[in-house]
Amino acid sequence: MNQPNALRERSENEASRLPPLLARAEHLAGTVLLGDHGRRRAGLGDDFWQYRPAQSGDSRRMIDHRRSARGDQQFVREREWQIAQSVMFWVDQGASMRFASHDNLPTKADRARLLVLATAIVLVRGGERVGLTGTALPPRRGNPQILRLAEAFSKDAPQDYAAPEHRAMIPHARAVFISDFLGDMAEVELALTKAADRGVRGVVLQVLDPSEELFPFRGRTIFESVGGTLRHETLKAGDLRDRYLDRLAERKERLAQLCRTTGWHLGLHHTGDSAQSALLWLYRALDRGTA
Amino acid sequence: MTILAGIGFTSPWLLLGLLALPILWLILRAIPPAPIRRRFPGVALLLGLTDDESVTDRTPLWLLLLRMLAVAAVIAGLAGPVLNPQQDRGGSGPLLILLDASWAGATRWPEKIDLIDAQLTDAGRTGRPVSILRLTAPEEPAFQSADIWASRLAGLAPAPWQPDSRQIDATLAAISTVDGGFETLWLSDGLAHDGRETLLAALEDRGAVRVFETGREVLGLAPARFEDGAVQLTLRRSLGGPEREVTVLAQGLDPAGTARILATATAGFAEGGTEAQAALSLPSELRARITRFEIQGQRSAGALTLTDDSLRRREVALIAGREDREGLELLSPLHYLNQALAPTADLLDGALLDILPANPDAIVLADVATLSTAEEEALTDWIDGGGMLLRFAGPRLAASDISRADEHPLMPVRLRAGGRSVGGAMSWGEPKALAPFAEGSPFFGLAVPEDVTVSAQVMAQPDPTLADRVIAALSDGTPLVTRKPLGQGQVILFHVTANAEWSSLPLSGLFVEMLERLAVSSSSRTPQAEDLEGTTWRPLQVMDGFGKLSDAGTLPGVDGAELVSAPVGPDLRPGLYASEDRRLARNVLADDSMLTAAVWPDRIPVEGLSVRKELPLGGGLLGLAVVLLALDAIASLALSGRLVATRATAAILLTALWLAQPQPLHAQDESRTQEQAEADAFALAATAELVLAHVLTGDEDLDQIAQAGLRGLSDTLFYRTSVEPAAPVGIDLERDELAFFPMLYWPITPNQPTPSAEAYGKLNAYLRSGGLILFDTRDADIARLGGTSPNGRKLQQLAAPLDIPPLEPLPADHVLTRTFYLLQDFPGRHTAREIWVEAAPPDAQQIEGMPFRNLNDGVTPVVIGGNDWAGAWAVDGNGRPLLPVGRGFAGERQRELAYRFGINLVMHVLTGNYKSDQVHVPALLDRLGQ
Repeated sequence: MNQPNALRERSENEASRLPPLLARAEHLAGTVLLGDHGRRRAGLGDDFWQYRPAQSGDSRRMIDHRRSARGDQQFVREREWQIAQSVMFWVDQGASMRFASHDNLPTKADRARLLVLATAIVLVRGGERVGLTGTALPPRRGNPQILRLAEAFSKDAPQDYAAPEHRAMIPHARAVFISDFLGDMAEVELALTKAADRGVRGVVLQVLDPSEELFPFRGRTIFESVGGTLRHETLKAGDLRDRYLDRLAERKERLAQLCRTTGWHLGLHHTGDSAQSALLWLYRALDRGTA
Repeated sequence: MTILAGIGFTSPWLLLGLLALPILWLILRAIPPAPIRRRFPGVALLLGLTDDESVTDRTPLWLLLLRMLAVAAVIAGLAGPVLNPQQDRGGSGPLLILLDASWAGATRWPEKIDLIDAQLTDAGRTGRPVSILRLTAPEEPAFQSADIWASRLAGLAPAPWQPDSRQIDATLAAISTVDGGFETLWLSDGLAHDGRETLLAALEDRGAVRVFETGREVLGLAPARFEDGAVQLTLRRSLGGPEREVTVLAQGLDPAGTARILATATAGFAEGGTEAQAALSLPSELRARITRFEIQGQRSAGALTLTDDSLRRREVALIAGREDREGLELLSPLHYLNQALAPTADLLDGALLDILPANPDAIVLADVATLSTAEEEALTDWIDGGGMLLRFAGPRLAASDISRADEHPLMPVRLRAGGRSVGGAMSWGEPKALAPFAEGSPFFGLAVPEDVTVSAQVMAQPDPTLADRVIAALSDGTPLVTRKPLGQGQVILFHVTANAEWSSLPLSGLFVEMLERLAVSSSSRTPQAEDLEGTTWRPLQVMDGFGKLSDAGTLPGVDGAELVSAPVGPDLRPGLYASEDRRLARNVLADDSMLTAAVWPDRIPVEGLSVRKELPLGGGLLGLAVVLLALDAIASLALSGRLVATRATAAILLTALWLAQPQPLHAQDESRTQEQAEADAFALAATAELVLAHVLTGDEDLDQIAQAGLRGLSDTLFYRTSVEPAAPVGIDLERDELAFFPMLYWPITPNQPTPSAEAYGKLNAYLRSGGLILFDTRDADIARLGGTSPNGRKLQQLAAPLDIPPLEPLPADHVLTRTFYLLQDFPGRHTAREIWVEAAPPDAQQIEGMPFRNLNDGVTPVVIGGNDWAGAWAVDGNGRPLLPVGRGFAGERQRELAYRFGINLVMHVLTGNYKSDQVHVPALLDRLGQ
């Protein structure tokens, strides 16, 4: 196959991945009620808040002549204060996320990207700025940012377990970390504490495959990581189950502990469950944080 | 071959391999199953975890057993096991296989052939020359190699007789031509027969004799007799075994001419008894149809008996020309015929024309001289079709001019005027005796009693044909009975009266015998040899040893006496024989023949027939091993958790299993109930409300127009009248019930299919029960009714089988013109005036002062026209007219008139001649006024 053709084919493949993900994300986002986050106080914004008598210091052009013409007094039209938040996402692009225990289940990466995109769409419609952690895609507003996000999600990372990106965090912004958190916990700890230092708060969503929760294996088995870098052989997989589950619980506990200390929200989502419930949870968790 | 526990092994040393099984057990226990590779992100959590035990999961015990069983099956299968191994029976030198080959062994003939085959295989293995000899058809024994005989086995068939002394002699002679000794296998049929001991002694001189015998009883059926108003069947068996019920089937042709079982009878053998009786009481019509009786489940000539005239009762019509002498019974012309025929025939009484449709076997005209032309024609037709007319002379015939100058078609000869009288008080000479019957006469062989005299007779004119037609004559050569063939039947004239006035013939037994020979009557007793003296019988059908009937072909005729007395054999095959119109069956068993079981001396070994075939088990065992290994593969996959990957395979397997299941037997029932439910739904839909219907022609456009037309008419009816029809339906004449619809609209198209005969039956029943069909040729714009257009010709073709009364063009005072609207024309899309309805009765007359004639009662069954009414009525779903009619307002007026015609027609169908009764209104008013 010659070079231009191969490039063309690969780019077609890449491009074809975008629209379905976007469409699904839009669809999912449509189910969540959206709107600007009103600040419930007068300020900069588009929506009417109240008329108040003009005071000294108000510039002339602030006077609302339509209202003032009804009487002798002059009124100023105030608008509700609306601010835009910056929300930064980090989605684990590592190989461990590209795993589904069953043909009918989506991979964890697929579900994670879908949730992030849907959340991003909801947020963008709400007027927030969304972007990725790190320097690759700083937060911006508008629909083109969604496209850029989707494009960024179409690239897989080569390593088995990716570490959270914690560089270039905008202070006091919001962040969403989605991963299976099966890799090195030290990196996670580092990222979260660093974020907390900068006043960034947010949501940690752990996405797990049902088989990772159940460990339904028996007999002589060689377990391999998806990237193939780690392997573990056992003669009796059934005997490992309890100890594996213990370790998983321990890891979850550690994550929860971390979130408690940094003030982040922790959520758990299984790819066997509906994506919508996870999206709703994400939205509420973010909303609660901003309110 | 080594035999272990009844099973032979071709290579028994391989069985030692079974000793290796325990070692295999240990090995299988020791080797763990292969590891599975799994992708699992959670492996990071597993790192560092060690197994508690170093021993892997063991293969489960049942899987181990499965594998051991598979290996054991392979080893045993390779060792070549054989069930029922054939042991070498020894014996050497030539082998003679002697078969009784009589009917008694026919039922179990295939087993005999199998046995011979097995013996031939044995002999072929040891290279012994073999000869096969049948006692019923002995030939010179030719000792040949076994495979030559094996190729001729299929041609061996049992004969429908028992070997008799002639054949035993021939067998002995044939054996004596063989040099040297031989071993004999005698396949006996289990019945004793003459000469058996002699033959056995002769065979024992030559070598060892072994006898094969089934040991089962042989069943036989004696000829059926007719006694006490029922058919008596006697069954015999050779051994007095336990109690047993046997079913006898009466086979024959049903009225449609197909062979079927007409009746069954059950006979029970008592314990130890060898004879059983069954009586079958049947109407004579049915009895006459029976052609044979056979024992159910038996396939031999002896278990079958053919019926002949003895079961038949002929129908004879007696007609006398003179019934006026009441009370003088002995002088009645029919008295002696009645006496002679009543025991053996069914007598019909009545007028000639009433009797002929019953198609009697014979009609007797006693002294009937003249017949009406109609009677003559009917009688001639009947004789042409095979009837027999038997005429007796008498004073009337003698006095008439019939067959005087020219031979009358219904008389065999011309007659001289007046007849003659001999030996009376006023005449010379003695009363004449009968001459012996000539050869070729049907009476040939009957003894002539001396006291039979004839004193008066009618005389035949000496014509050239006379000599051929005389079948009985007086001693002076004058004809007494003459006969001529006519078509397939014949006319016979007795030149004397049927009573004792002219001769003493009716008083003698000869009279009855002559009637029997002429097949006017048939005797129920079995004819004796002397009765049949001088007759020759032609075989019609003969049976083989299995009881299968075949055409006799060119087999020679048989002398009558021999037919009943000689034993059946190659020269006299059992079967059905015919002489003239009479039928005589010669069956394998006679009334008195008994079935005796063969008894063998103690020194002769008697073996059963059953051959235990060698059954190699190796293939089965290896197949079992393959199945077990396949199961093992599946089980191993399942155990190691890899069966998930093969889920598609499992689905295919499951599908295959499901497909392999037998289809549910009640599928047909289901479809039938569904059909029934559909029919019910159709009936409910058609009867819950009034529904107009049109006949589906198969032309889709036309059917849609018809449907739309009836919808338009239904709507109009709904708006204007109290008739409120539901949506119209299309009727498939072949499938749907018509009785629910008051009226059918039948548009004609040249290429619509012609209904089947059943559909025409339904249509005729529909027309007779008050239905109306509106035929519409739809071509009144281009043709007048009556075969000038393709549609018209098709209409004629379609309506030809229908039961339609005479038609006439619709008269101006027909009730159709005023059932709802007053109409003069009946236009549709075309405006032809010609409409045909049932013709008024010829006596309908215009009464002075009445507006209408008092026309036919009831509804005309058909209305035929060509105005394409449906086209004019047709509306679309919104009620708008579908097709244009005429032009402008005149066209709309024409459409309105078409609707009015439709309304009038439906009213006519529903109310009949109600409006016609207005004829009487003036009279009623007149009466009320007074």
